Amino acid sequence: MIPAFYFWTCVLGLSIGTFLIRYSMIGLSARVKIPARTRELFSFIPAAILPAFLVPVVFFHQGKVEWLHGKERLFVAVLAAVVAFWTRSTLAVIAFGLALLYALTQF
Amino acid sequence: MKPNEYFYQGFRSMLPVTTGAIPFGAVVGTMCAEAKLTFAQAITMDHLLYAGAAQLASVELMSQKAAALVVVASGLIINLRFLLYSAAMSPLLQNSRTITKVACAYLVTDQSYAAMSAHQDKLKTPADSIQFYFGTAVCMLIAWHASLMAGYAFGNFAPTTWALDYAVPLSFLALVLPTLKNRNYIAVALFSSVVSVLLYQLPYKLGLIVTALLAIGFGAFLTRKKDPR
Repeated sequence: MIPAFYFWTCVLGLSIGTFLIRYSMIGLSARVKIPARTRELFSFIPAAILPAFLVPVVFFHQGKVEWLHGKERLFVAVLAAVVAFWTRSTLAVIAFGLALLYALTQF
Repeated sequence: MKPNEYFYQGFRSMLPVTTGAIPFGAVVGTMCAEAKLTFAQAITMDHLLYAGAAQLASVELMSQKAAALVVVASGLIINLRFLLYSAAMSPLLQNSRTITKVACAYLVTDQSYAAMSAHQDKLKTPADSIQFYFGTAVCMLIAWHASLMAGYAFGNFAPTTWALDYAVPLSFLALVLPTLKNRNYIAVALFSSVVSVLLYQLPYKLGLIVTALLAIGFGAFLTRKKDPR
């Protein structure tokens, strides 16, 4: 059992802090003029952060299929990238990736 | 603000992405039940914080009776990445009313931001982008809270043999590709891939934010203005 006072202290601290992080730059936007160069750098944010969610999970997962030596997620990611490039469809990439990973790890 | 076609486009584009959020929500809901939080505690925390990875980490730390300061600090470090999304969205919201800014900020998630940036090309005005963003965010909000509540009530319902946890990184793979507009963006994505593997062992998931900052720095280096002299 987590003590109630302790729980609410943590939750309030986390919630207020998280909202301030989320609001920070949006809140400043009205007061500060954003230079074109800064906007250009902001456009790198998806390319800078999204691969960092994917690639470590691919590399560090311990798999089951012997011939891939635990690299089946890497294998799936490479093929899913090809599917993404062809179809530009999020649904197709997820469906293909999960089906292939299931097939590799279960059969 | 009245939802228009862009709102519904955003909502629909998010439906496949929820394949990753739903099992994750179920895991967090199950953990809340196992940590013996009351339903009211779990659901209030969920609505106030609304950040899955931080919720997971903080419930775990609280069940281990970590110091409150440690719980708060480690959750906020995990959420530091929202600073980047806030920055990226700020040009769109410059002329918006405060209530819109607050709502946009509260709804910031990895998925909503990524989905909006993936569709940036067809969103001509800031108003279209904001509509699209709210569509993605509302879809995410419903899927997340519903799956968390279901996880609390029924335990982890997602079949583990399906490895549904992999749907989150897969959705990011699909969403990052349309943003790679030229060689500089591709180079930044490759840089991020390599550095994220090297920094993965850093504590508190610091590897993620450090990788992102280094990769933006790399992008700045690639697109630097040539010295006029």
